[in-house]
Amino acid sequence: MSSESSLFSHRWLPALLLAPLMLLIVLFFYVPVFQAFYWSFFLEQPFGGGSEFVGLQNFQRVLSDPEFWGATGRTVIFMLTASSLAVVVPLMLAVAADRKIGMSYPARNILVWPKGIAGASIGVVFAFIFNPFVGLMAPLNVLFPGLWNPGIDGTDAFVTLVAAHVWSGIPFNFVILLAGLRSIPPTMYQAAAMDGAGPWRRIFDVQLPLIMPQLFLTFVLEFTESITSVFALIDTITGGGPGGSTTLLVYKIYVDGFRGFDLSGASTQTAILMVFVLLLAACQFFFLGRRINYER
Amino acid sequence: MVENARSINIAAGILLAIGILYIVGPLYLTLSTASQSYEYMLRNGLAWVPGTEFFANIEKVIHDTRIPIQMLNSMIVAFSNALATCVLSFLSAYAIVYFRIRWAGVVFALILATIMLPLDIRVITTYQVAANIFSPLNAVLDFTGLNTLIASVFGSPVQLELSVLDTHFGLVAPLVAHGTGTFLFRQFFMTLPKDLFKAARMDGAGPIRFLIDILLPLARTSFASLFVLTFLSGWTQYLWPLVGASTPDMQTAVVGLARLVPDADGQVPDFPMIMAGAVLVSLVPLTMIALLQRFLVQGLVLSEK
Repeated sequence: MSSESSLFSHRWLPALLLAPLMLLIVLFFYVPVFQAFYWSFFLEQPFGGGSEFVGLQNFQRVLSDPEFWGATGRTVIFMLTASSLAVVVPLMLAVAADRKIGMSYPARNILVWPKGIAGASIGVVFAFIFNPFVGLMAPLNVLFPGLWNPGIDGTDAFVTLVAAHVWSGIPFNFVILLAGLRSIPPTMYQAAAMDGAGPWRRIFDVQLPLIMPQLFLTFVLEFTESITSVFALIDTITGGGPGGSTTLLVYKIYVDGFRGFDLSGASTQTAILMVFVLLLAACQFFFLGRRINYER
Repeated sequence: MVENARSINIAAGILLAIGILYIVGPLYLTLSTASQSYEYMLRNGLAWVPGTEFFANIEKVIHDTRIPIQMLNSMIVAFSNALATCVLSFLSAYAIVYFRIRWAGVVFALILATIMLPLDIRVITTYQVAANIFSPLNAVLDFTGLNTLIASVFGSPVQLELSVLDTHFGLVAPLVAHGTGTFLFRQFFMTLPKDLFKAARMDGAGPIRFLIDILLPLARTSFASLFVLTFLSGWTQYLWPLVGASTPDMQTAVVGLARLVPDADGQVPDFPMIMAGAVLVSLVPLTMIALLQRFLVQGLVLSEK
């Protein structure tokens, strides 16, 4: 048989196999993405009241709104703090769990549990645990009044969000990084040990350089993840408050669109956020990705 | 290798203990508070020791809230999401890998691009599409001028309308429109030896036979991994079910749980009851993780390779 037959040839079967998924993807991915950009050039009336082409006016309105810039700034701060922690904490845990010690077996099991707990559920739990009157900090608040109150102090609310986000993010990043560590061949360690590198030294000279692909991947995914999945945490823990101090872009879009019925404004912000996410991924891919040696 | 690794092993042990505490701590406090009465919580704050009111609180959740029916919704959404994703991704990956199609690369890129922009970002316009899934068709008919033609022949233009909001289909479909599954199966197919295909062809197997008799049994583990992964993802969704279902009886359990906390300030909410709700809502996915952890870990690793 010739190499011709290494694939099936069929006129309509592959199209038929692809059709159901492609239909869903076009309908619920490409149409919404296109529509967000399309609507950002129109003034859309809620409840189907017609629309009117306004050029760049929506962008002018959004970009001159200080609340938009506030939400964007908070999104960037959250992205940098929460996603760094959500990679570094699992990284330390993965390096520890990679060692053959008694603790690493229960850890490998338990650290995956948060995957089964919805962001909104852990949000409800954290809202209670960090409640200033009945929660963890309540006794300290009695001793030092005003020490902790996420309902009034924006920083406290922000810290609660970060803690909850890191909690939810542990399983995925831990599993990926641990898998990376375990795929390092033992001969690497032996060679490093022969050269006199002790176990501490080998973390920085062998393990970290060799799991760069996994680290890079977790960072890329974590950046997008921290921007979007934070919605459930904000909605259950802070409601965007106090005083808008935890209103991140994804939450502001929801509030503008579904409570304020400002479809054009929400679509314009959606379009801006999409461009931001895509640029971010592209930047990471080109600038960060290039420095990483994928060869083993 | 014999060397002194005592200091690092002790440090690693302590670190893991802290990590476990960080994960288990909130879960323990949830459980212990769920087993105390409202009055106990008002007096002592969050409970460090378990009490005896656990089943009373669970009963309160079952009788006074919509959580039971919402858990049924979650079950339907998570299960159909997992099943539909598995089947549709399997079929599309099969078409991309095993057929000679010129546009295979383009199609795969189009499917893969969905991973870049999660549903939570495009929720506003996805909602508009779900409110009338024929709106793209109407727009195309309007735009191409076909509707003016139709209007001149039949008297009125075509304006179809069908909303999938407040239906299980509407809650599930946007979740299935995602590329991870196709990616996962494609990766798996690429690892299979080419001779497998050639041998099957030589024995006279056609596309359908090859799919059912050869690939399907081989892909069992991949199916299990993807199923667990998408089931958990379906169960834990929040923003889409929040906007996609407007009546309490159509909402999912996670949304229902978040709605148990009153918006208004003032009286301290019945946290023991809410925590019992959190336990109830997390029971199914946690059991799944406990039983099928192997597949979950495998799925996480495979889906991002």
